[in-house]
Amino acid sequence: MTAQMWVFVAYFCVVFAIGWYSLRATRGEKDYWIAGGELGWFTGGATMAATHTSAGTFVGTIGIMYTAGWSFGWVLLSIPLSYWFMVAVLAPRFTRQKELTIPAFIEKRYYGKGIRGLAAGIILVATVVYIQAQIVAGGLIANTVFGVPTSVGMVGFTAILLIYTVVGGMVAVVYTDAFQLVVMGLGALFAVPLALRQVDGLDGLLVLAESASPLVFTFDAVPEVLLLTMALSFFLGGIATPEKLIRLYAMKDMRTIRRGVLFAIIMILAINLLVFVLALAAIVLFPTLPTGDLAMPMVASAVLPATLGAVMLAAITAAMMSTVDSLLIVAGSALSVDIYQNLIDPDVSPERRKWVDRLGIVIVGSMPVALLVSGIGEGELVQFIVLLFTALMAAAFVLPVVGGILWRRATQEGAAAAMVGGVAATFAWEVVGTPDIEPVLCGFLVSGLLFVGVSLVTTPPPQAAIAPYFDDLD
Amino acid sequence: MNGPGFVFWGLFVACGVILVAYLVWMRWEERR
Repeated sequence: MTAQMWVFVAYFCVVFAIGWYSLRATRGEKDYWIAGGELGWFTGGATMAATHTSAGTFVGTIGIMYTAGWSFGWVLLSIPLSYWFMVAVLAPRFTRQKELTIPAFIEKRYYGKGIRGLAAGIILVATVVYIQAQIVAGGLIANTVFGVPTSVGMVGFTAILLIYTVVGGMVAVVYTDAFQLVVMGLGALFAVPLALRQVDGLDGLLVLAESASPLVFTFDAVPEVLLLTMALSFFLGGIATPEKLIRLYAMKDMRTIRRGVLFAIIMILAINLLVFVLALAAIVLFPTLPTGDLAMPMVASAVLPATLGAVMLAAITAAMMSTVDSLLIVAGSALSVDIYQNLIDPDVSPERRKWVDRLGIVIVGSMPVALLVSGIGEGELVQFIVLLFTALMAAAFVLPVVGGILWRRATQEGAAAAMVGGVAATFAWEVVGTPDIEPVLCGFLVSGLLFVGVSLVTTPPPQAAIAPYFDDLD
Repeated sequence: MNGPGFVFWGLFVACGVILVAYLVWMRWEERR
C-alpha cells in the first residue's frame, strides 16, 4: 500500500460510515428523496456547493483558463447571481408546496401525468449520460492511484457510489456531500501555497504568467459574446437544474434557504478562485501542454509532494462523487417515482414502493457503466449530451419552472412545447450554429417563444393548478 | 481595462461586492 492508497482507503471508509449512519436516519419516502425536508443552512448549503462543484471544476475549468486566460474567470460571477435569483424570485413560491421530485411539481402546476412523464424522461436521459462523463474521470483517477485498468476503476467507483446512495438515499447524499466539500476545500487550500512557492509568490505569479502568455490578463483572448453566452449558460443552468431545485425542497424554510445559499455561494466562489490561481501556476510551470485538460493532473503530480498529491486527487474524486450521487437521486426518482409509480403501476403497495425506489437508483447507476463498457458511450450523440447537459436542462426547465410560478396563464401545452422545443433547438444550434455563441441562447429563446405563444392559444389553466402558487395575490 | 490590476484583482473585488450586496438584501428581506 502506498501513501496515496491509504489516503483513498481512509476517505472511502468515512463515506461508507456516513452511508451506514444514514440508513438508520431514513424512515420513509420523504427522508429517502428530500432528506425529510428539514435540512439546516449548513448541511443544505454544503450539499448545494458540493453538488455544484464537479470533476469539471477541477479539470475542465482549469483547462479552459489555461488556454483562454483569466478573462474566462469573470464568467464565475454569473453563479452567485443565479443562486440569488433562485432564492429571491423562485424559491418563495416554489417551496410553498413540497414535492418529492421536480416532475411532481410539473404535474401539480401543469395538471397532467403525461407532462410529468415527459419531464422525467428528459431528466433521465440527460442525467444518465452526464453521469457517464463523471465516471470516466473516476476511472482515470483509479488508474493513477491504484494502477488498475480504467474500466475496473469505473466499475469500482460505480459500486461505491451505488452502495451508499441506495442504502442511505438523500440523507446519505447530504451528509457525504458535507464531508466531500471539506475534502475539496482542503485539496485546493493545500495546493495553492505550494504552487505559489514555486513561482515566487503571488506577485511573481502575475509577472511570470503575463510573460508566459501575454494575453492572460486581457479581455482580448476570448470573444466577448462567447464570455457573455457562457455566463448566460451558467446563470440559466444554475436556477433550474433538477438537482439544485430539489435542494430547495430539502431545506427547512425560506430563512434557512437564504442562509444556506449564502454559504454555498461563498464555498463555490472560494473553491473556484483557488482553482483559477492553480491554472495561472500551470501556465507558468507547464507552458506547452497539448491540451488544457492536462493542467490539473500536472499540478497534482509534479507540484505537490506524493501525499498531498493524493489529497488533491481525493479532492477531484470528492467533486466527482458528490455530483454523481445527487444526479443518481434525481435520475433514480425520475425512473421509479415519476415514470414507474406515476405512469406504469400507480397502485404499487408501500412495501414494494420501498424496493422500487432503490431499484430505480441501481438501474440508473448501472446504465452509464454499461454504456461505456459496451462502447455505445463513445458515440457522437452521447458526447453531445455531455457537452450540452447544462444547456439542455436550462432550455427544458427554466421556463416551465420559473414561468410557471410567475405567470398564471402558462398552460400544460405551453410548458410541453417549451421543453421539447428547447431541447431540439439546443441540439440544432450545436449542429449548425456558430461556435462563438453558446447553444443555450438559441435553446432558451426558442423555449421562451413556444412557452408564451402556445400558452396564449390554448385553454387557460384550471384554478386548482395555480392556486397553491398565486393564492396570496388574489 | 487590461492588465492584472483590473482583470485579476477586479474579479476578487467583484465577488466581494456581490457577497456584501446579498447580505444587505438578506437583512432587508427579513426586516420587512
